Amino acid sequence: MTSLTDLLASDYPRDLATGMVVNFQIAAIALGLGLALGVPFVLMLTGGKLTRRLASPLIGLMRAAPTFVVMFFLLNVIPRPFLFFGIEVWMPPSLIVALSLAPYAAAYVADNGRAALVGLRAGSQTEALLFLPNLIRAFTVLVMSSSAGVAIGVNEGVAVVLREAERLPTLGEQMLCFAFGVFAFGAVFQVGFAIVRVLMRHLSRRKGADAIHAAE
Amino acid sequence: MIGALRGTLAVLLLVLLGALSPARAETPDEALDALLAKAWSEMPEACDKENVDTLVRILCTGTMRVGVRWDYPMFSTLVGDTDERIGYDTAVASAIAARLGVKTEWIHVRAATRISTLAEGGADVVIATMGHTKQRDGQTRFIRPHYYSSETIVVGPRELDVSGWDDIKGWRVCSTIGNHANSHLVTQDVRLMLFESAVRLPEALEERTCTLASQDDSFFATFIAMPEFAARFERKFGFDAIPWGMAVAQTGSNEFATALELISAIMHRDGEFLKLGIENSVFTGFLEEQHDRWRTSACADVSAVTDAGCVLPALDNTPLPTRFADEVDTTVEWIKANLGFALELPMLTSVPAFELFTAGIVNSLILVMGALGATLGFSLVFGFFAIIPLRVSRFVTWGIVTTIQSSPVILTLVVAGAVATTIFTYSPAVALGSAIVALGLMNGANAGQAIGEAAESLRRDGRYGSGFSGALYGAAVRRSLTQLLSFLINAAKGTPIASFTGAPELLSALTDITSFSAGRGTTYTLVLIFYIAVVFIVVWACERVRVRLNKREEAQA
Repeated sequence: MTSLTDLLASDYPRDLATGMVVNFQIAAIALGLGLALGVPFVLMLTGGKLTRRLASPLIGLMRAAPTFVVMFFLLNVIPRPFLFFGIEVWMPPSLIVALSLAPYAAAYVADNGRAALVGLRAGSQTEALLFLPNLIRAFTVLVMSSSAGVAIGVNEGVAVVLREAERLPTLGEQMLCFAFGVFAFGAVFQVGFAIVRVLMRHLSRRKGADAIHAAE
Repeated sequence: MIGALRGTLAVLLLVLLGALSPARAETPDEALDALLAKAWSEMPEACDKENVDTLVRILCTGTMRVGVRWDYPMFSTLVGDTDERIGYDTAVASAIAARLGVKTEWIHVRAATRISTLAEGGADVVIATMGHTKQRDGQTRFIRPHYYSSETIVVGPRELDVSGWDDIKGWRVCSTIGNHANSHLVTQDVRLMLFESAVRLPEALEERTCTLASQDDSFFATFIAMPEFAARFERKFGFDAIPWGMAVAQTGSNEFATALELISAIMHRDGEFLKLGIENSVFTGFLEEQHDRWRTSACADVSAVTDAGCVLPALDNTPLPTRFADEVDTTVEWIKANLGFALELPMLTSVPAFELFTAGIVNSLILVMGALGATLGFSLVFGFFAIIPLRVSRFVTWGIVTTIQSSPVILTLVVAGAVATTIFTYSPAVALGSAIVALGLMNGANAGQAIGEAAESLRRDGRYGSGFSGALYGAAVRRSLTQLLSFLINAAKGTPIASFTGAPELLSALTDITSFSAGRGTTYTLVLIFYIAVVFIVVWACERVRVRLNKREEAQA
């Protein structure tokens, strides 16, 4: 019978940490791609009527696209390897996961970036600064979502959890293993959202002070 | 006197028996010698003629051009940077060339170019790990008796107790895209994880990305021959044996094909194939069986090369076509000719694929409806417990919600699946049900939390007391309607993830279909369109509900 002490003493925690680094890398790349793709949409949304009409359905489409299906779509339509400016490029599965998360990230950046820009134009720097905690929130969600990569063979955190669980014979032991994995991902999630809450609180206090200052 | 009479009678009897017995059948050796002698007699005049048989051309040039793989361990691999090749296939080619008195010229072929190389005249014969299927029979001429046979094997860790299909129902098995055995795997309730190249499979086993991997035994033979690999992994069981054939062009190779057939029969009878197999460390079960068969009197004469009792049939792995397959093909042709893009619709052209496809659509819709219902149900339950003014109830609700929020979706689905398969025997319906519960739980917990927060805000507004009332519950649900609808949309968006735990929805069905047929681009585009359409319909329905409820509220106000 595997106990929690056995699990902690095994390679599992180290392997899980190594796997979760991949989750962070995927989330960082996805957020980077989301920013690169989302910023032009922010400008389109805050631009003229025509650009707004053009951007809205595209953002709606990106928002509606299920990440998991997009991942399989990209995996199967992107030739591997493919030629990029004459250079043979091999796209690793982890990059495909990041690409599949990019539409969601871009739609998120577009929505929140627009709100920030509107706030800034209205003279509220604090409103615009809300974009920062929202980015951290998006990053946390992306870390959790990047675990979908396990389905295409990416060696990330959930893949480590599932591998370890498969090795264990009873449901009880497997549940212990799952609980450890949930705890690890939960820690990231809760820390991420705690940072968001602290920043939000700080910004809302600043907003309140700005309002009082303006009233005086 | 009597002795002389006895002697005369014996001679007469022998002459009589000789006269009455049928003519002795020609052996493959005699037939081969006669064929080669005929070809030599036509030379050198025939060498300058066009449209001569490949056999004559080979004898004229003194070179046999052989299409071989270059990266298939134990069968044909390059030696260092040289053009020299080693392996069973190349050894067979060299032995045949030696018998014909010519030398070999190696032509590099891949799996995809084996038949086209022959059709374009790029090689005289292809000896390149090619399975003999009925489908390929129409494209090239296979030589029988077959020079080798392989089967698909399932390989896994030694400590894993697996010996047949029943042991791996619902398991994830790694395979390669386009492998002919995938269609068999998916019919056994096995879930596939597909890789582009077989080379990735041993790595995936070592990295434990895959618990089990399925591939041709000729591929795994190299790895199982390695002590380090064999210490950890073993062959669990095999299925779908397929004979391997040398192949020649369909036209202009009649005599050459006959020569190869006779040589193959001789090599099996004399154990030459078996000797080459042992020398190259390939599995020799088939070669031993063939050696025994071709030594028997039933397969001793030249007619045996066409005798169904001596040679094996081609593997019939062509799926049954749908009754509208021709119309689909015609439409695809029309689209290609008129619109300029090539569609491939494997899910509409064969019966097993079409059944998987229709079941996938139905199951996807059940999954979406179920996930929406479960999300709504769980949100109302969690919301109820979050509103009750009991610390224990709120604390427990908070604990469950926090735990669920902390778990990645895919992990929650796996946990739900593991619990479900402990209670029930694994089946696609159980996978579907557990996915519905997991998706409902995840989204319902978040929506329930929103209901609880809405109730708090209503209490702060002072419109309701600190206790619980139906009115407060109703108002909290109405106030959190936006979040509730968002989580319903989220639940619909999350349904394809259920394919990971074996729920037989559309993504899962189409992954299975593309694992044994072409058209991945079209197929995954269709599945993407399907799910985006489903999400848009859910968004539209949620918007309608919101508008209707708002109108009703305004009317009441």
